[in-house]
Amino acid sequence: MTLRNVYASKEGKAIGMGGLAVILLVLPRLLGGNDYLLQVATMMALYVVLASSLNLIIGFTGMYSLGHGAFYGMGAYTSAILSVNLGWPFWITMPLGGLLTALVGAFLGLATLRLRQTFLVFGTLAFGEIVRILIMNWSSLTRGPMGIPGIPPPKVFGTELTSSTHYYYLILVYAILMVFAIFRLYYSRIGRAWVAIREDEVAASSMGISVFGYKILAFTISCLIAGLAGAFYAHFVTFISADQFGMGESFLILTMVALGGTGSIAGPIIGACILIVIPEAFRFLAEYRMVLYGAMLIVVIVLKPEGLAGIKGLFMPTTGGRRRTTLFRREPKVAAVKAGGSQ
Amino acid sequence: MFLQQLINGLAQGSLFALIAISFSLVWGLLRMVNFAMGEVYMLGAYAGWLVVMYATPNLGVALVAGFVIGWIVGWFIEKVAFKAMRGVPHIASLVCTIGFSFFLKELASALFRAETKSMPSYYSDTAFTFAEANISYLQIIMVVIAVVMMVLLQILFYRTKIGLAVRAVALDYRTASLMGMKVDRVTSLAFSLSGALAGFVGVLAATYYNAVNASMGFVAGLKGFTAAVFGGITSIPGAILGGYLLGAIENLSVKYMSSGYRDLVSYFILITFLLFRPNGILGKKAKL
Repeated sequence: MTLRNVYASKEGKAIGMGGLAVILLVLPRLLGGNDYLLQVATMMALYVVLASSLNLIIGFTGMYSLGHGAFYGMGAYTSAILSVNLGWPFWITMPLGGLLTALVGAFLGLATLRLRQTFLVFGTLAFGEIVRILIMNWSSLTRGPMGIPGIPPPKVFGTELTSSTHYYYLILVYAILMVFAIFRLYYSRIGRAWVAIREDEVAASSMGISVFGYKILAFTISCLIAGLAGAFYAHFVTFISADQFGMGESFLILTMVALGGTGSIAGPIIGACILIVIPEAFRFLAEYRMVLYGAMLIVVIVLKPEGLAGIKGLFMPTTGGRRRTTLFRREPKVAAVKAGGSQ
Repeated sequence: MFLQQLINGLAQGSLFALIAISFSLVWGLLRMVNFAMGEVYMLGAYAGWLVVMYATPNLGVALVAGFVIGWIVGWFIEKVAFKAMRGVPHIASLVCTIGFSFFLKELASALFRAETKSMPSYYSDTAFTFAEANISYLQIIMVVIAVVMMVLLQILFYRTKIGLAVRAVALDYRTASLMGMKVDRVTSLAFSLSGALAGFVGVLAATYYNAVNASMGFVAGLKGFTAAVFGGITSIPGAILGGYLLGAIENLSVKYMSSGYRDLVSYFILITFLLFRPNGILGKKAKL
């Protein structure tokens, strides 16, 4: 029995998952109370959720969005404002942050009726910038560039969660729940509908799938998850400001998905882990760490367009007249020209 | 005040118009967008700054340096993000240029440090005052350069053999290649030209704002794309019109709302036009 078979078997998977769960559970002990490393692990869990939620839009449904940082920020700001200004507890403000973000996400999802591919990317990008500018300038509500300090930590059964270990477990539980939910969604009727839309919109709609409805649903669910993640983040760092949720954040989350793998469950998780570990591991590179991000994205996309652990055949080049599974239908382009012998 | 804002808007509009032409050049040929256009513009600005600071204070040389750097970077991006990815769906190329945009921006801020470099000002004296509006020599020069560039491009596209080749490939690359044209070379040329144009505008913009920094490219690129969509990305005259209109609207809007919201107008225009009139004002009816 080769290693691959072991991994593929049901027992192998169960053992692997169990092992991972045990490691995640005892991680605070393993790190020996190193607060800094524990915080990195917490951020990693948070970004795993964010990347996985963006994968709902990009990988499952085949729409590209560059506005995820804005949704993340919207959840964070809603929860922070409600709890600081009105003194509401975390367990009420957090779902409200998620709900508001989901509503806005559904609204943006309406845009997918008319926007596709490149234009959807720019549309969501502009939307993200609008949100950032509003946060920056609406001083009476968001305190503008000063940010919101002193966000109260969440309470569980009357005790305030203050230590890094508490946060780690809180966000770990959230991350596991969300990834599990996304996993279940992917293999449900809804997930199959999304994949059908990704593969061929016309065929999907002729099979009776409400293409537009499912696209909006993808946006709504994805934004709900991102908004919740934002709320967790706000109460974890206790200080938020507009520049934390700008373009760079959207880039980062998109890079996690594209690098780790588009369309698979494991891809965004891998991508998030790599991109959070790299800046910490390569501290000696100083400013050049961020350069590495961009370079990695370029290299991976050119060599393996579907990412490290993406769905195979997602970006398969079309060769000859035969249509392969692709993320988007496309007219046979320059590949055909080459076959035609232009040189 | 109204006239002053309008004049500032026209000067800024020439910058937008030139970037918009870069976008519509690539769009016309490949039906793709180079997301890193703003970063090419930023690198051009740095090239111009280096020339002015360390070589010669001649603005003309700086403009040429920006042009050359833009050409080289544009050529390189085409090779990696487009040529190496032929046959892969467009969106993968777009993601690759998003990677380039991030990469170039971070590279510049690592090489030149994050703080804003100040560019010496040229010809910033007031040329003449017209109804209380000051017009500087630089503003006149910018508009003139922009117009000359546009005329040159128009001649290039409609009076030369190279232009004919570019138009043929844009119209139907397949037939063009069957006719024995070197499609790859034409694509590479047009792409490099669009990069060169962006680098050139970068130097102009650096002189106009007296500032160069690594993050100047993002907003400029997005505004340029907005201008292209606004006027009609499928046509070069449309891109020019979009650039000037956007410049004027943006500067006039400052009168009515706080300057913090200034960029909001452009992004709002972008979203509105993408949603309701994706072909822009002058664009031909085409499926986007």
